[in-house]
Amino acid sequence: MSSLQISNAAKAYGAVPILDNINLDIASGEFVVFVGPSGCGKSTLLRMISGLEDITAGEMRLDDRVINHVDPAKRGIAMVFQSYALYPHLTVFENMAFSLTMARAPMAERKEKVERAAEILRLTHLLDRRPAQLSGGQKQRVAIGRAIVRQPKVFLFDEPLSNLDAELRVQMRAELIQLHQRLRATMIYVTHDQVEAMTLADKIVVLNGGRIQQVGRPLDLYDDPDNKFVAGFIGTPTMNFLSARVKDVAADHIVVSGLGGDTAAAGLVIPFAGFDPSIREIQLGIRPEHATIAIDPASAEGLAAKVTLVEELGDLTSVHTVLANGERLVAQNHGRRHSGAIETVVRIAADKALVFDMAGQRLRPAKA
Amino acid sequence: MSTTVTPAATLSSASASIASRRSVSIATILKWLVAICVAIVAVFPIWWMFNVVFSHPGVPISINPRLYPTSLSAGLNNILTIFTETDYLRAYYVSVMYTLLTIIGILLFSSMAAFEFAQFQFPGKNLLFGIVMISLMVPKAVTIIPTYLLTVQLGWLNTMQGLVVPGLASAFGLFMLIQFMKSIPAEMIEAARLDGANHFQIYWHVAIPLSKNALITLAILTFMSTWGNYIWPLIVAPSPTMYTVGQVVGLFNAPYSHTTVDIVMTANLLAAVPPLIFFLIFQRQIVEGIAHSGTKG
Amino acid sequence: MSSRTTRSIAHYLMLSPFMLLFAVFFLYPIVSGLFYSFFEWNASQTSHFVGLANYTKVFTSRNFEKATWNLLIYVSITVPLGIFVALSLALLVDSFSGFWAKFFRSAFFIPVVMPLFLAATIWRWIYAPNFGLLNTILGWFGMPSVQFLNDTGTMLYAMIAVDVWVSAGFNMVIILAGLKNVPRHYYEAARLDGASTFQQVVHVTLPSIRPVLFFVITYGLISALQVFDVPWLLTGSSFAEYGGRANALLFPVMDMMGRGFGSVRFGQASAYGFMLTILIVCVTAVMFALRKKFGDA
Repeated sequence: MSSLQISNAAKAYGAVPILDNINLDIASGEFVVFVGPSGCGKSTLLRMISGLEDITAGEMRLDDRVINHVDPAKRGIAMVFQSYALYPHLTVFENMAFSLTMARAPMAERKEKVERAAEILRLTHLLDRRPAQLSGGQKQRVAIGRAIVRQPKVFLFDEPLSNLDAELRVQMRAELIQLHQRLRATMIYVTHDQVEAMTLADKIVVLNGGRIQQVGRPLDLYDDPDNKFVAGFIGTPTMNFLSARVKDVAADHIVVSGLGGDTAAAGLVIPFAGFDPSIREIQLGIRPEHATIAIDPASAEGLAAKVTLVEELGDLTSVHTVLANGERLVAQNHGRRHSGAIETVVRIAADKALVFDMAGQRLRPAKA
Repeated sequence: MSTTVTPAATLSSASASIASRRSVSIATILKWLVAICVAIVAVFPIWWMFNVVFSHPGVPISINPRLYPTSLSAGLNNILTIFTETDYLRAYYVSVMYTLLTIIGILLFSSMAAFEFAQFQFPGKNLLFGIVMISLMVPKAVTIIPTYLLTVQLGWLNTMQGLVVPGLASAFGLFMLIQFMKSIPAEMIEAARLDGANHFQIYWHVAIPLSKNALITLAILTFMSTWGNYIWPLIVAPSPTMYTVGQVVGLFNAPYSHTTVDIVMTANLLAAVPPLIFFLIFQRQIVEGIAHSGTKG
Repeated sequence: MSSRTTRSIAHYLMLSPFMLLFAVFFLYPIVSGLFYSFFEWNASQTSHFVGLANYTKVFTSRNFEKATWNLLIYVSITVPLGIFVALSLALLVDSFSGFWAKFFRSAFFIPVVMPLFLAATIWRWIYAPNFGLLNTILGWFGMPSVQFLNDTGTMLYAMIAVDVWVSAGFNMVIILAGLKNVPRHYYEAARLDGASTFQQVVHVTLPSIRPVLFFVITYGLISALQVFDVPWLLTGSSFAEYGGRANALLFPVMDMMGRGFGSVRFGQASAYGFMLTILIVCVTAVMFALRKKFGDA
């Protein structure tokens, strides 16, 4: 049971900065997921925690002990690699007992610890096999077992499911959640897959361009993103962004116009307390689920849009449209199929729209 | 090795579909004939050597050209004679030790260095690597005499270390192992590091087992070149007590040695036995090892 | 930082055995050899600087001229012939499949497995006058006995035959590996275009295996320029007597070794070694330049 604090950490290769100004608190027993596009530095951050990469600046504490220069093996962390890193010349048992062998632990201790881990992961019948004789999911479990045997303070996972097929991934996800509940250990997990992040995490850390964009619980990130990047990264299909002009600012709402280039239409009223009246240009973030195709375009009020693509998933229909000014907007109809119309009108749930400034930072209403 | 449909096989089947049946069979017969003849030329000298050893010594070669063995007891007698009446057994021992120690030394030292060059970055790496690689271009002719003189200065003439040690700086083995060890995934090394393995343990418990095939190939190639090395033992171990098998055979060869052909051939046959056995066991590794160094080199 | 320093030390520790051996038994001999080549250095152990005298002495000696001339003839025959034979054997083996491909490959490879000293000795007896195998066979056809290794007209060619017999299998294996890498559809396309078997070999096979051929030629050239074992063993096999009748089988490395160990002129021998090295490095450089220009298929 261990907590991890990272303060002002940075990483650079020579003059090339990889990570900058990383501040993070991970509580004991938490399941934290680092998510971001490839090259965002999430794996580097994980490797810095593991000790496989040096930390260029800042401080890293595990249970209040600075671990910046502690040898990777002595930090009390275990890592599960993307490629599993199982040794083909060793049996499953020997792979799982590798750390104990290196520490010259007595055979009885090796047997006991490996067998306990194998039981948790249902690997007992495979202990004499070699990695080449295992399926992808089994190899994955052996790699996790190898980590469990070490009884680490923190588990690190580096995209552990990316080599598995889709079905197995879902299954392993469920197993990881169970494992976390059972071990109550601190786990840090790196992935580029936001679905994995949403389903696994107690806390998600979104990284982009070597910086932390936002830290929070999965649904908080979904509902209340700090910036355009987080808003766009979390959720599929991605959030729509429409540029707009602020026409009128009132105490508890604003009126915006010019959505989709439609200058003639009456403004859209968005609930917003305490808007800074000096801001004239904004971007509206609208999730596809908050945009719907009007049933009767002739009489409906909304944005005129032209349908370019319809994705029918049965229960859910995503309609891709293009607006008059060329901006794209994806709308969703729940439980209703698309009529086939090309010229249509999209209705926006104005109370659900998020407001961003032109730099992409979220503008939040003043708290009541 | 898998049996793939080879290009030339498709060639002959191509001509089969185009040309008449008869011409095909002539081409095929010709092909087999040539292959068998070449095989005979390749294998016959060794077969003949065997026959010389295992035949009645009295019969002149004009009457019995030794095309097949005729006497088992004569052969055994020859082997017994060479072991009891000459220093061949000692030479055999020297050759075996020379070969064995060279293989162990080369495998150990080049794998240690290859592990570092293939998997890690450290100051001076590129310089060291460059020097070693350039040495692959330097012919043996330029180093053999100064190396000999150095061995003399060290007082290693006619010693086992004089035979073995100078040959351990094999850039070829290092290069081959580096090429192989580069393919070991970095995650395997990192996982071991996290599991508390120290640097040497990573080398010994991870890199060495993962390079098993390359090490076997290098061991075999080293075996062949060391067992067959003639020039170095000749100059560095000129004393009869340190003769290798090759030197004894060369000595039997000398014009006034008065050694009879059956004794010379027995010496030859016994010298051929270890490489032949090795070849029969490790055929695939030998052939693939040579092919690999040729196509990748 | 301290953990990083200890890691660097571990790297150098692992490298040190190899690098130490390499420095002592490879780099130092090269440097000291260069040094020796400028000194008169003989059995009396007194040495004095002689400038380029060793080089001029070697260069103007009759043996040098003879050895160089022999080498020129030898290289210009043995390299093309050897590679032609190896290529033919590779194509032949490649035209078989399954068991027989492996069988013939192994049979053709057997001479490579033999130590050179062994091959030379066997052939010495095959070439022996009167009762040698070859002369016996000639005798069956009523032909007179030929002194293969004692007649200046045949010696070099007899040796080249041994050389090709020894090396063909080695090159064959490398070329075979190259043939296996030629995509099958190249042949299929050529066949659809109406190419004959011969045309396919010339226009598809040879261009496709150009890099492999370059390797085989370069390697063959380098080793042919350093030829020593085979002519040494086919002639006197001692520092008192080598090179054969009228020095017909005298080659530069042999001449160099003779000067060093036969007449204890290590200064001249070192100079000889450097001249040879320059020649070999030049040939290698030319081959690499050619490869750059034409090689990459």
